[in-house]
Amino acid sequence: MAYSITSACIGCNACKLVCPQKAIVSSATGYAIAEHRCNECVGHHADPQCASICPIETAIVDQDHRALNPPGSLTGLPNERQVIAMTKLAAKVSGGKGGAHATNG
Amino acid sequence: MVQSNGGCASASPAAASSCEQSGKSAADLGLNLDDPSLSSDVVSKVTSHPCYSPEGHKYARIHLPVAPACNIQCNYCNRKFDCSNESRPGVVSKLLSPAKGVQRFVKVKERIPETNVVGIAGPGDPLANPAATLATLKAAAKQDSDVHLCVSTNGLALLELVPSLVKVGVSHLTITINCIDAAIGAKIYPWIYFNHKRLRGREASQVLIDRQLAGLKAAVAAGMLVKVNTVLIPGINDHHIEALAQELKLHGALLHNIMPLISDPAHGTYFGLTGQRQPTEDEVAEARAAAGSNMAQMSHCQQCRADAVGHLGQDIDLDADESVKPVQQEVAESYLVAVATKSDVLIDQHFGHAQSFALYQIYEDSIAPMGRRDVSQYCVDNECDETESRMASMLQALEGVSSVLCARIGMTPWQALEQAGVMPSTDYALFDIQQALSALQQQWLEQGKFSQQSRCKEAV
Repeated sequence: MAYSITSACIGCNACKLVCPQKAIVSSATGYAIAEHRCNECVGHHADPQCASICPIETAIVDQDHRALNPPGSLTGLPNERQVIAMTKLAAKVSGGKGGAHATNG
Repeated sequence: MVQSNGGCASASPAAASSCEQSGKSAADLGLNLDDPSLSSDVVSKVTSHPCYSPEGHKYARIHLPVAPACNIQCNYCNRKFDCSNESRPGVVSKLLSPAKGVQRFVKVKERIPETNVVGIAGPGDPLANPAATLATLKAAAKQDSDVHLCVSTNGLALLELVPSLVKVGVSHLTITINCIDAAIGAKIYPWIYFNHKRLRGREASQVLIDRQLAGLKAAVAAGMLVKVNTVLIPGINDHHIEALAQELKLHGALLHNIMPLISDPAHGTYFGLTGQRQPTEDEVAEARAAAGSNMAQMSHCQQCRADAVGHLGQDIDLDADESVKPVQQEVAESYLVAVATKSDVLIDQHFGHAQSFALYQIYEDSIAPMGRRDVSQYCVDNECDETESRMASMLQALEGVSSVLCARIGMTPWQALEQAGVMPSTDYALFDIQQALSALQQQWLEQGKFSQQSRCKEAV
């Protein structure tokens, strides 16, 4: 039972400062979670601390590589999947309009 | 790309004075230094700080980027962004450790002796990194007892840190307060980290606002000069500036700095990407006028980066400067490395707790264990501060060692080691010793730290 840090990490050091297990290590090459130390904050806090302060979506993942902060969850910015859906929708709407114009013409 | 809004931002004396004459309204809204309610101490503190008054322009400031972590997210900030072409608050090119930060200050002070302000402004929130922030300020004050210490914060963690800030001698404090209404705050702050939880929405901004105002009050009561920065965001907080200024006055803020939102989409901020527009110059002037009846306004802000150096508006490029300097590096056939370890497997010991160090000789092509060397423990009974004599014997014991690897190390011994030519490192904290040494060997190989001699021998 341990989380890990992905390459999305920007190295802001916030998680290291709040980890109750001192499980987060950093080096010139980046940040990582020492597996034997991480207990996912069970017994410390209701929420895992690293994932509660991390500002970057998808930077912290669980054992199954599921992001604790999925895309769109922190910045409120439309994520890739939403953008694709919205683009499709827009294409559909404008396509519909185009069709209408064509029949009108 | 330094934004200059209005002519008052200029750092040159001529421009500043001509601006005062022409921009009458802006000058009228500023702090009246003849006000009898201001003590001479306050006036001198204000006029000797380039960010607090245009009169301070003859002094220079240095922002030390030692505080990367942040405890809130603002919609005008993108934490991923760093670009050397970019200049705005919250952005730096290279982070510094507290020790390196102080080194930079000393170096800059040599070059620009009128550098009298050491500020910490990020790139995250200084008070979300209290240890690094306080250690840096403390060490800077030790180098130069006349320096003004300055911190710029979002205020979330301020209240309980006011005593520590006073203790290290912080005289100037800036809090960014954009609103006092949680409904408005919810449009500016998507989340905050508070009390071990990520809070969102109105709840988050209510906590933030309450904490900002309580922190402001406490800081003023503790005798700090408090400036409040407000980012003017058209359609979000522009109608709210007067009410905000009233509240700020009530809590004792000295100066109010209304800054225009920067929302270039290229910066990748929420506001930038969602088409939130920047205010016009007229809108900024209007907001300052609205706030001006309650709060003395500041209009010469340059919205500088968290690693800005030099006179306002004349930042020097330290990176370029540092890279031009010829790197004089010593090369040797091999290096002796001391490792603080309890387990003999991982680098798992605090420098100050080590009673002995495991030694390794690193050659270009091999790593040889050299046994252990006893030292007298540096930290005894948590009294790590009064240890100069112990440091001397420690340095003696570490003779010949070029690098110390440990899990953690205090600021004071770090500096003493560096001065003695021993490079401390916590980069490999909790790493396997062998792995760490190999990584170090690889790094040194790439840096060309091993002398030609051994390479020649190998070739023969």
